[in-house]
Amino acid sequence: MHVPYSYLDQQFAEVDTYLADIRDLVRSGDFTLGAAVGEFERRFAELCGLPYAVGVSSGTDALALSLEAVGVGPGDEVITTPNTFVATVGAIVMTGARPVFVDNNEDYTIDANLIEEAITDKTKAILPVHLTGIPADMPAIMDIANRHGVSVIEDAAQAILASIDGKHVGSWGQTAGFSLHPLKNLNVWGDGGVIVTRSAELAERLKLMRNHGLADRDTVELYGQNSRLDSLQAVVGNRLISETHPITNGRIANAKRYDDGLADLGAYIKIPTRQPGVKQVFHTYVIQVSDRNGLLNHLEAQGIEAKVHYPIPMHLQKASDYLGYKSGDFPVCERHCGTILSLPVHQHLSPEQVDWAIGQVREYYSNKSGG
Amino acid sequence: MNIPFVNLAAQHAPIKTEVMAAVERVLDHGQFILGNEVDEFEYRFADLCGTANAVGVNSGTDALILALRALEVGPGDEVITVSNSFVASTGCIALVGASPVFVDVREDYNMDPGLIEEAITERTKAILLVHLTGRPADMDPIMDISRKHGLYLIEDSAQAVGAEYKGKRVGSFGDIGCFSLHPLKTLNACGDGGVLTTNDSSLYEELKILRNLGLRDRDDCVAWGLNSRLDTLQAAILLVKLGYVDEWTDKRRAHALFYQNMLRDLPQIKCPEEESYERSVYHTFVVQAHNREALRKYLSSKNIGTAVHYPIPIHLHKAAATLGYGVGSFPATERQAGKILSLPVYPELQADQLEYVVSNLRNFYQQAGT
Repeated sequence: MHVPYSYLDQQFAEVDTYLADIRDLVRSGDFTLGAAVGEFERRFAELCGLPYAVGVSSGTDALALSLEAVGVGPGDEVITTPNTFVATVGAIVMTGARPVFVDNNEDYTIDANLIEEAITDKTKAILPVHLTGIPADMPAIMDIANRHGVSVIEDAAQAILASIDGKHVGSWGQTAGFSLHPLKNLNVWGDGGVIVTRSAELAERLKLMRNHGLADRDTVELYGQNSRLDSLQAVVGNRLISETHPITNGRIANAKRYDDGLADLGAYIKIPTRQPGVKQVFHTYVIQVSDRNGLLNHLEAQGIEAKVHYPIPMHLQKASDYLGYKSGDFPVCERHCGTILSLPVHQHLSPEQVDWAIGQVREYYSNKSGG
Repeated sequence: MNIPFVNLAAQHAPIKTEVMAAVERVLDHGQFILGNEVDEFEYRFADLCGTANAVGVNSGTDALILALRALEVGPGDEVITVSNSFVASTGCIALVGASPVFVDVREDYNMDPGLIEEAITERTKAILLVHLTGRPADMDPIMDISRKHGLYLIEDSAQAVGAEYKGKRVGSFGDIGCFSLHPLKTLNACGDGGVLTTNDSSLYEELKILRNLGLRDRDDCVAWGLNSRLDTLQAAILLVKLGYVDEWTDKRRAHALFYQNMLRDLPQIKCPEEESYERSVYHTFVVQAHNREALRKYLSSKNIGTAVHYPIPIHLHKAAATLGYGVGSFPATERQAGKILSLPVYPELQADQLEYVVSNLRNFYQQAGT
């Protein structure tokens, strides 16, 4: 049985409505910050329970623009975690600031207990990542940030609709950046991103910053980027956004099925942690396994597309050389990098496909224990 | 008669079926990020410009930012450019942390080569010239100066796809050429897009890494880059339009020639006149008009759309306040800003529409008696 990691082909099963929308857009020529973008922003803000959303060209830009909007720039430090996608760190560097890493928890998000010792008089912001769709420990992080007078920008790229005690990710920090990349839970058909905020002032500033700093066609308030969510992508987003809850519920159900099927393999496998009151949306279903490469090969041979998010932590990337970190600096993250494995968990998987994947994981370890 | 300044619907009506088929082909393979259409577009765009390589990115602005990044222009450096441009050509310099230094323009609206050398200091790292309105800047003297002083040369060719200087296409002169594929450009995506050109293979490799978050492959990050990729969907649409761009440019040039011939005797209007060494693609057809504001209102009352590119020179915007320029710093730019007017010149205009524009221009000055 084939258990694919990507599901985009299934998204196109009923593609005619999308194409009709795109045809209308092409006919209208309303390609740049058009009506579709305004509609998507309104609906995205509503989905997050916040007053403002600003569509930008990628999740990376959502973070970089957010950091700049709260005043992060050259000479500043931004605290984040080395266990993330490169865009988190790239966004910090784009602003001219210096990334400062803090190790993560067993749940793959930043360890709030280690943040305070990383704060210096140059620290301007904390950038927690809701990796895999698990919210970072936002109550603790906000408490630290408030005590030290630093901003919090949430990297919510993987975590739309995740929440803590009913409070959505994106509603804790000054702003949050979401990605609409084709492989995200809520996706478009190219690059795209969104920033959410409860601050009218930040929303206005971000709208200037994403559009050349133009207050109107002829007035340049500040030097800004060109980072606009394409109307074409907003058209796709406006179709898919209605599906966000069913998509999320499908992933949560598949994750639960994996949990139930793998929980008793504790000798070989550690399933994702669960916390009461925390809604995890399973952008990825990440387990820690023994003999990862053997398992990866076995799954691949059985048609199951497993992946590793991510094999090399950010502090050990070549691009980080100038930061002066070394192997051993972040033991939890480094240990995870050697043992983590992502099983396909997307909403289009059938129970049979998930069961097949579970069965193959079980078979691999039963063969091992058997001899 | 109604003549809007831009009419994207008219551009797309005859090619809608082809555009939608291109969109569907992308859906069939699902490679939305850096798919094959991006490679093919890059290959064909490089061919169009006569360069070895092209790199598709998210916008013309990002093309400029990435060019500066690839040439390691940053804090402490100065970049010489013009104040008579869209804000992006200066914004990109500020965004990489360098200082923009302006020089004035000539009557062709492009950088005056005679003023460049006095603007060079020991901090000058690059010249970022703009081929404004679709006309090539005067490249020979600019190339000489950049070589003599060891300065990088970046061509902002956002408005000038296919424009030629002495038979050579823009984007192929400097270290890097930067193009916009914005919906209002002569070669346009249905959204934001940009592309860089270069003959330097190491710059090419660097740019490909920098536009994709510094990733050399899925897992290895060798530099902190941007996320600035031309969407596959847009590349597929652009491949359709590449088949038409020569025809569209020819039409723009024919419209321009019509305006030039029909307005040459009118003393209140100064049309752009092509030099023998250049081939303009007329992204905009910018005249200098006596009594411009009244003329604009009059044309608007006749349902003729016009625009001003650009009414406020970049050095006089609030964003430039810290650069220390003021009114009078660039007399040619400032004088032009008060007189320039862009007439509709897009390919889909019909002969009777062009005649209507011309006759209303003439009527205005006859009635005004000026």
